[in-house]
Amino acid sequence: MEDDDAVDDADLLRAHGAGDQHAFARLYDRYDRACFHLIRRLLGGAHADAAEDLHQETWIAVSRNAAGFDPARASFAAWLFTIARHKTFDHFRRQRVTVLATAPEEAATMTPDPQPSPLEQVQSRQGAEEIVAAVEALPIEQRGVFVMFSEGELSLEEIAQVTGVAFETAKSRLRYARARLRQSLAGERPTHV
Amino acid sequence: MSDHDAPDPIDKAYTQAEAMLDDEAARAARRARVLGAVAGDVQAAPSVSAPPRRRVSWAAGGWLAAASVAGVSVLVALQFTRAPLMREPPARAETSIVADQAPAPTPVTTPAADKSPPAPPAAPQQWKSPPADVAVAPPLAFPASPGKAASETVTAPAPPPPAAPQAPNAGNVQALIITPPPTEARAESARAESPTAQAAAPASLAVQTARLHAAAAAGRLAELTSLLAQGTPVDAPDSEGETALMKAVQANRPAAADFLVRHGANLDRANRAGVSARDMAISINDPQLNRALGLEP
Repeated sequence: MEDDDAVDDADLLRAHGAGDQHAFARLYDRYDRACFHLIRRLLGGAHADAAEDLHQETWIAVSRNAAGFDPARASFAAWLFTIARHKTFDHFRRQRVTVLATAPEEAATMTPDPQPSPLEQVQSRQGAEEIVAAVEALPIEQRGVFVMFSEGELSLEEIAQVTGVAFETAKSRLRYARARLRQSLAGERPTHV
Repeated sequence: MSDHDAPDPIDKAYTQAEAMLDDEAARAARRARVLGAVAGDVQAAPSVSAPPRRRVSWAAGGWLAAASVAGVSVLVALQFTRAPLMREPPARAETSIVADQAPAPTPVTTPAADKSPPAPPAAPQQWKSPPADVAVAPPLAFPASPGKAASETVTAPAPPPPAAPQAPNAGNVQALIITPPPTEARAESARAESPTAQAAAPASLAVQTARLHAAAAAGRLAELTSLLAQGTPVDAPDSEGETALMKAVQANRPAAADFLVRHGANLDRANRAGVSARDMAISINDPQLNRALGLEP
C-alpha cells in the first residue's frame, strides 16, 4: 500500500471507469505486490512462469469488471484476490493440475514454537529465500490464507469470503500455517503423518 | 480481535522476505506491461459501439441511404415470398414437404376440415382455470373424466386440428391431417398461446431450478435426471448465483456432484461471492467428493 490513502479504492475504480487513466495506475500500485505474490505463491515453483500472465489477466479482469464491483459487498482487496485466486485455479485446471487439499486438521499435533525463530527476522537473502520456500511448501489453502493475511492485509472475515469457507476455517488455516512455518524454519518436521 | 487476528512475527518476516527478494526492474517492467494491456483493452472496448459516430452519419443524411436500402430489401423479399405463393398457394413452408411426400390424389375429407371450425375449445378452457405452472388439469375443466391427467383430458374431446380453419385447400388439409401434432405438443402449443402460461414461463423455470437445487442437495438422482430431461439448465443459478453443483458440493453429495458434472455442470462457475464449486470442494476436502469432481485421481 504505497500510494496515498486519501482516495478510496472504490473511487479510483469508478474514476477508471469514467476514463481516468491515472486512477487505475494508482490502484495498481497499491496492490501490485500483494496480488503478484499471492499468485506467485499459490502457483508454487513448478508454475512460476505463469505468474506474470495470470497477474496481467487478473488486472485486465479488474478493469473490465470495474462497473460490477460493489464496495458494499466486499473490499477492493478482497475482490481483487478473489479474481487472482480464480485465475490461478483456472490455470491449474487448464494444466490439469490436481490441487491437493490440506490434510484434515493436520496441525492439531503441531504446537507453536514459543520462542521466535531467528529466521523470523530476515537477515540475509538466503534467509528470505528460506522463508518464501517454506511458505510455498504449505498446503495451498494455508498458503493462500497466510499470504492474503500477512501481505494482502485482509481480515479473516474477508479471507473467509474470498475462499468461500467459514470464518473458523480461515482462522484455523492461518494458525496452522504459522505453526507449520515456525517448525519448518526451525528445521523441524511437522509431527503429523 | 483474537490473538490469531493480530499480526504475528512470522507474518512480518514473510513480508520482509518478499520485499527483499523483489526485483524492482522486473516489477517496473511488469507494471508497464499490465497497464499497457489494460489501456489497450479499454481503448478497444468503446470502438465497438461508437454511438456518437452513428449519430453523425444519421445527421449527414445516412438515414436516407439506410431507408433506401431497407425499402429495396423489402421489395426483393416480397418478390421472393410472393412468387411461390402464387404458384403454389396452398403450400406453406412447413407443410409443402409433407404434401410432396403424399401426393395421393384422393383428398381426405374429414368433418373437421370441411366445417372449418373455430379454435378448439378444449385447450383454452384447460389453461384458463389452473395456475400456469400446474400441469394437472382441474376436475372442473373436464367433469367427464375427473381422475385423468392433463395430457389425457386434452385428448378426450378430440378437437380438430388447430390450423384447419386457415386451410382453404384440400392438399393443405391433407398435409395437416397426415401429420397431426401429438397430444402433448398440442397441449404445449395451447400453453404457449395462453397469456397466463407465457407470464408463468419464467416462474416455471425458477420452480424447476429450485427443485433441481433441492434434489442436488438431497442427492436425489432420479429427480435430477427427470428435471434435466425436462430441459432445466444444469447450471441454472439461484438468487445468490449458486448452482445445483454447488448445492451438491455443500451438502457433500458425491453421487449427485458426479452426476451433475457428467451432465455438463461447470465446476468453475462462481457464485455472487466469487466462489466456485471447485473452491467449495477444496474447502470441504472430502476425498470421495474430490474424486467425484475429478480433483483427485
